[in-house]
Amino acid sequence: MSKYLLEYSSDVVGSPILSKVIVETGVLINVLRADIEHDKASIVVDIPHDEDRVINRFRGSGVTVRKLQENIKRDIENCIDCGACISLCPTEAIYFTEDWSIEVDKGECILCEACVLACPMKAMTIQEH
Amino acid sequence: MKTIKEINQKIKKGEAVIVRADEMPEIYEDNPKKAAKEVDIVTTGTFGAMCSSGVFLNFGHADPPIKITKLWLNDVEAYSGIAAVDAYIGATQLRKYRDSDYGGAHVIEDLVAGKEIELRAEAYGTDCYPKKKVETTVTIEDLNQAIMYNPRNIYQKYKAATNSSETLMKTYMGTLLPNKGNVSFAGVGELNPLVNDPDYDVIGVGTRIFIGGAKGFIVGEGTQHSPDTGAGNLSTRGDLKDMDPRYVRGCSIPGYGTSLYLGIGVPIPVLNEEIARKTAVKNVDVKTEIIDYGVSRLVRPVIGEVNYEQLFSGRIEVEGKKIRTSPLSSLKMTYHLLKELKELIEDKNFYLTGKVESIPRKGHARSMKLKKGTKTVKQVMTGEVITAKGDATIKEISALLINNHIDQIPIVDEVNKLQGIITSRDITTALARNINKMADVMTRDVITSDQNEAIDIVSRRMDKYKVDATPVVDKNSKVIGIITIADIMRRGGSG
Repeated sequence: MSKYLLEYSSDVVGSPILSKVIVETGVLINVLRADIEHDKASIVVDIPHDEDRVINRFRGSGVTVRKLQENIKRDIENCIDCGACISLCPTEAIYFTEDWSIEVDKGECILCEACVLACPMKAMTIQEH
Repeated sequence: MKTIKEINQKIKKGEAVIVRADEMPEIYEDNPKKAAKEVDIVTTGTFGAMCSSGVFLNFGHADPPIKITKLWLNDVEAYSGIAAVDAYIGATQLRKYRDSDYGGAHVIEDLVAGKEIELRAEAYGTDCYPKKKVETTVTIEDLNQAIMYNPRNIYQKYKAATNSSETLMKTYMGTLLPNKGNVSFAGVGELNPLVNDPDYDVIGVGTRIFIGGAKGFIVGEGTQHSPDTGAGNLSTRGDLKDMDPRYVRGCSIPGYGTSLYLGIGVPIPVLNEEIARKTAVKNVDVKTEIIDYGVSRLVRPVIGEVNYEQLFSGRIEVEGKKIRTSPLSSLKMTYHLLKELKELIEDKNFYLTGKVESIPRKGHARSMKLKKGTKTVKQVMTGEVITAKGDATIKEISALLINNHIDQIPIVDEVNKLQGIITSRDITTALARNINKMADVMTRDVITSDQNEAIDIVSRRMDKYKVDATPVVDKNSKVIGIITIADIMRRGGSG
């Protein structure tokens, strides 16, 4: 899974660029998260293949593209394995193992920060690789 | 029939049979008589956020002496209205009144971890205690005593929480997603001490427990003890100096404040078949209710019943819909501490005590008596509302605002149904940005209130969404009034 952050400025936020890129490249881009306002937008997408071709199309349309290097990190010193975060994770990337330890599937994580904001132990952070 | 004395003799000889609470059902179902005869101790425990916890501290006398009247530890206030150099630091006391994620629980954790704590104290000065100010640092080593003394721990049962409202709620029961998007629950089900001894047969005043990784005692029933409703709880005591930082953890529950995650283990002596039967309780037998926190009242609606097997499965069905669950207590840490408790007993370092007094088996907690009732929206709102229709121009709206000395106008349709709201600030925005259509500056997602809601609830909502007024609507979204901050200030006091 390759995650990218697409940033739209006010000049291009009104255009259906994402739809255009999907139609033109035939790549089934998966939208993981989208914050769209009237003067800007940021969209996190997963580009399953032909990444360079897709990225160039976005850039050609005035969208800033950045590969997401950050990842969710669980601090095992701070985490008490309670599970307060589990039901808040939209992609079910956080789960209990057999011995009731918390585990995070980083591939499934879309960096939404729901767990970061809810953790009573501040054990979840988003960090650069 | 066995006695605690006999069990302690077995511990001494290294012959005591110790099983964990979740292992007992199978052993009991296999052969109840044999289970009662052969099992000596069932270990129970919990590791959860226990807000009603705190520590008595004695700092020793200063030279010249001081009679402390106000005291702060790492800027968290501790109650010092007890003699000269004693204080009580409570888990939920925050460093600042709001928006702090460091509190008394963290001071307690830092003390246990041996960290240096900043101490600041004030006094008025007397002939016998002339000193008026102290600023120093202390560690737990420097203190004469640091005794954890918790008014209310180990709840027998706690209600699970969900949220039917349309916005995310941050509660002491964790973060609750809108529209019943999740359920969060506290407690460890079949491992819980009082679930295994619901009639207080063996747990009582003087029962030796494993608290925060140290030996401690049950002091009595806890505050708000409500055995009638299955919500009994216990007051506990332990020596902070002997505690283990793994089991004493400060936490900050977002939007609520700080609390103390504390591990407590309670060994239950299997004295007879009756006790054996009770300790054979399973998660499926431990039931609780799901409460809707979307309704901000003392008595919140119950929307269903669940058992802990369902809660720990990760998903439960509520009103035909699958909802994901989040525990707030840690099963893993509970298992850890139960293992440690078992090893302590096996190593002959932990003997059982019998109770010297029983915990009350009857009674329930009452709610607070309010001399003055809380006012409702109906009593404070303005009933004659100035409204406008969606096709009104910015100029017309401006005239209405000025002529009526108001700052906001609900926009309604032909049958008075709320469509949006426009404020004087929106008009300013329109002017600044050259917007001519009223619809382009109007807020469509309006924060509203109900005429029967308490003023405190509406104030909290207005504070949360940073609005100065909310239209009051009926069941059909028709505008029947408006309530502003000014209304609340003028007429909202307890009446």
